[in-house]
Amino acid sequence: MIKLFSLKQQKKDGETTPRAGNQKKASAAQLRITKDINELNLPKTCNTEFPDPDDLLNFKLIICPDEGFYKTGRFVFSFKVGPNYPHEPPKVKCETQVYHPNIDQQGNVCLNILREDWKPVLTINSIVYGLQYLFLEPNPEDPLNKEAAEVLSSNRRVFETNVQKAMRGGYVGGIYFERCLK
Amino acid sequence: MKVTIKKWTGVATWKWVANDDNCGICRMAFDGCCPDCKLPGDDCPLVWGQCSHCFHMHCIVKWLQSQPVNQQCPMCRQEWKFNNK
Repeated sequence: MIKLFSLKQQKKDGETTPRAGNQKKASAAQLRITKDINELNLPKTCNTEFPDPDDLLNFKLIICPDEGFYKTGRFVFSFKVGPNYPHEPPKVKCETQVYHPNIDQQGNVCLNILREDWKPVLTINSIVYGLQYLFLEPNPEDPLNKEAAEVLSSNRRVFETNVQKAMRGGYVGGIYFERCLK
Repeated sequence: MKVTIKKWTGVATWKWVANDDNCGICRMAFDGCCPDCKLPGDDCPLVWGQCSHCFHMHCIVKWLQSQPVNQQCPMCRQEWKFNNK
């Protein structure tokens, strides 16, 4: 502690003098996201893209499910990590139009850990697994796309055909979906 | 042989005794400090909840302040109560 106390004293003495080099200190969010990205352990169906490699706060996640309703599709999500991360979750949007009970036409995603169940011990990896799970087990309860949810709970075969139709590019329920096959 | 000590320098080390090496919130080492602090030690202490989970005090306080109701441990979601033992 002796060293620490003298360091503290130095700090007090030097409070007014700017730090040598005057380098901008990385923010708490940047420090934390750097760790998250370094420790990212992506399932083989997922990939990340960093449009600006120096900016870890804005990136894309591409999911290509290898089983389930959405097999052979390719879905892009944008992640925006705010300055309050990890106290607030990143803002995640689906950039690919998708026929899915939990994703709406604006790309909003209904995933509990992105909203009410977020907690700061969760990581980017937790969200990746959450999103992947949405494609394996779409959840008809508490939907963003009510029509898709109703079809899923009333007739899984029709839901499956609708998903295929939307992924090939075409109209489902009067809404046009762009082709998103791999 | 007689030895006369002319000078001595005391050296001490310290560490926090916690279940984990890193704070689950900021992921920085417990023996380091939270990202808003510069020096580890008494200025950036650890605190424990009654659920036994441990965080940098600044990290957990910041989290609790952002949760006006239902203050829960971010690890186990039990109600957060400081362990004052």
